[in-house]
Amino acid sequence: MTRLRLWADRLIGLAAALGAAGLLFVMLVILTDVIGRTLGHPLYGAQDLSTMAMVIVVFGAMALCDRRGGHISVDLLERRFSGRLNRVLDIVSATLGAVIFVSLAWATWQSAALSQLLNLSTNLINLPKAWFQWVLMGFSLLTAFSLLLRAGELAFRDLDIRQDGETNA
Amino acid sequence: MSPAAAGVLGIAALLALLLLRIPVAFAMFAVGFVGIWALNGAMAAMSLLASEAFTLASKPELIVIPLFILMGNVAARAGMSGQLYDAAYALIGSRRGGLASATVVGCGGFAALSGSSVAAALTMGKVALSEMERFRYDDRLSTGVIAAGGTLGILIPPSTGFVIYAILTEQSIGQLFLAGVLPGLLLLSLFVAVIGLLCRARPEIGPVGPRTSPAEKLRALAGAGPIAGVILLTIGGIYGGFFSPVEAAAVGAGAVILIGLATGRLRLRALWSATRDSVVTTATVMLILIAAHLLNPFMALSQIPEVIGGAIEELALTPTALLVMLLAIYVVLGCFLEGFAMLVLTLPIFFPIVAEAGIDPIFFGVLCVLALEMGLISPPVGLNVFIVKSVAPGVALGRIFVGVLPFWLTMLAALALLLAFPEIALFLPTTMIP
Repeated sequence: MTRLRLWADRLIGLAAALGAAGLLFVMLVILTDVIGRTLGHPLYGAQDLSTMAMVIVVFGAMALCDRRGGHISVDLLERRFSGRLNRVLDIVSATLGAVIFVSLAWATWQSAALSQLLNLSTNLINLPKAWFQWVLMGFSLLTAFSLLLRAGELAFRDLDIRQDGETNA
Repeated sequence: MSPAAAGVLGIAALLALLLLRIPVAFAMFAVGFVGIWALNGAMAAMSLLASEAFTLASKPELIVIPLFILMGNVAARAGMSGQLYDAAYALIGSRRGGLASATVVGCGGFAALSGSSVAAALTMGKVALSEMERFRYDDRLSTGVIAAGGTLGILIPPSTGFVIYAILTEQSIGQLFLAGVLPGLLLLSLFVAVIGLLCRARPEIGPVGPRTSPAEKLRALAGAGPIAGVILLTIGGIYGGFFSPVEAAAVGAGAVILIGLATGRLRLRALWSATRDSVVTTATVMLILIAAHLLNPFMALSQIPEVIGGAIEELALTPTALLVMLLAIYVVLGCFLEGFAMLVLTLPIFFPIVAEAGIDPIFFGVLCVLALEMGLISPPVGLNVFIVKSVAPGVALGRIFVGVLPFWLTMLAALALLLAFPEIALFLPTTMIP
């Protein structure tokens, strides 16, 4: 499982790096558009580029968000629960998260097939919608894998990876 | 099962999952998805899941979220909170309680760069706490000021709270941002006034700080000049109709990065790290928003908002009484629920009632965000108090909560003032250039 964690962290890190690069790209596209507009030459398709890149920004870091324990939860009763119950709840919530992201990936895959069939694309520069739906699907599957791995580590090794540093991620 | 019974069961399941520490987004996803499946079938639930996730992730208006988060994170890494604090300190630090007042003013300035209260409390805490310790400020005052001042981050634009409210209620982000400016400044002034009153009553809690020479004042103000320029550019740009909120966010983030790199206060490695942190925070916020867009249709299908709305209608409340009741619920809920979670869970029920009563949705947004701000310092789960505790481990949690109490009461007074004079919030949005 340690080797699996190593590879998972590398993939999680790579996905987050793509998301971060996507964010800088979105900023540059909008800046170029604003400056260009002032000079009378706005960037053609700026909105298409920035909105599609946002899919990478939003879902790229989804796995890292879980890896860091970034999801908001109500911890009002945490101290009242026994350590064992808290561990069981962590396993349940990670498994539930994995089911959600697998469902999301499956629903998006079906939707992407429809987008491809209907040749759906962005308004101005005709970026195929299906490409970005596949990206969303890929990042969702990675997040589901990461959540399942975390659930497995909690169940079989009593290890909560969120409390560790990000060696590779 | 009737739709209303399914709705009640859904709400009960949601509360149970939340209390069992299931992440808010996962709980909302599960209840919304299963609820729609039960009421409208599996196909409807699956297609909504696919369409909402992609539509929200690629929604043009939502680009403001990561960009303003980036702006705040970069500003924090580049030490801009320190520069803002230095400028405020140079101006008012030598008065009684001046260091505490300077902290609040610094928090207000940082709030205009960052949409996050946590970031404001954390960065300003690191900068200001040691100074106040050095001048023997009472630790209740020093920690209370940072926790309360930090909350200005979600009232003074850019504010993630306003963006989430705007998306959930389909209101203008620009108008909401502008509606937060005057209430934010009002609250900041009230905080400073309260510090003055506390230190006048008990001078030993906030001793006089050292005087700064005119040259030092000028140097500190010059240091904060570019940051003030960025704030004017972004907020002024939206008000003047030069930029949309998305463009203002990109210009602001770009300007902060440029200033940081040009002054040598920001290294490329720190920029990359701030960008990575920004996408992680974006993922947290966006997942909750996507989940809310699954839960909301379920709530609408179950007709729960109509049932509650009907019950409230029977009470025949005036709009003001209705607002007081809803705000009281928010203040109480704020003691137990995280702010964003509270907003996304309650708005699908409360907003239709508010709209039906003819209350201005922008005004209600400001009141909601202010109530959410109070939750950040309310015991037992006030997030900002825990943030300050992490910066000041030597101060007992109880003392910090005592320290924030005068500021919590001040927020309550600000809410009352806003209820009495809605123009404070509505003046700028009604005069902005479209």
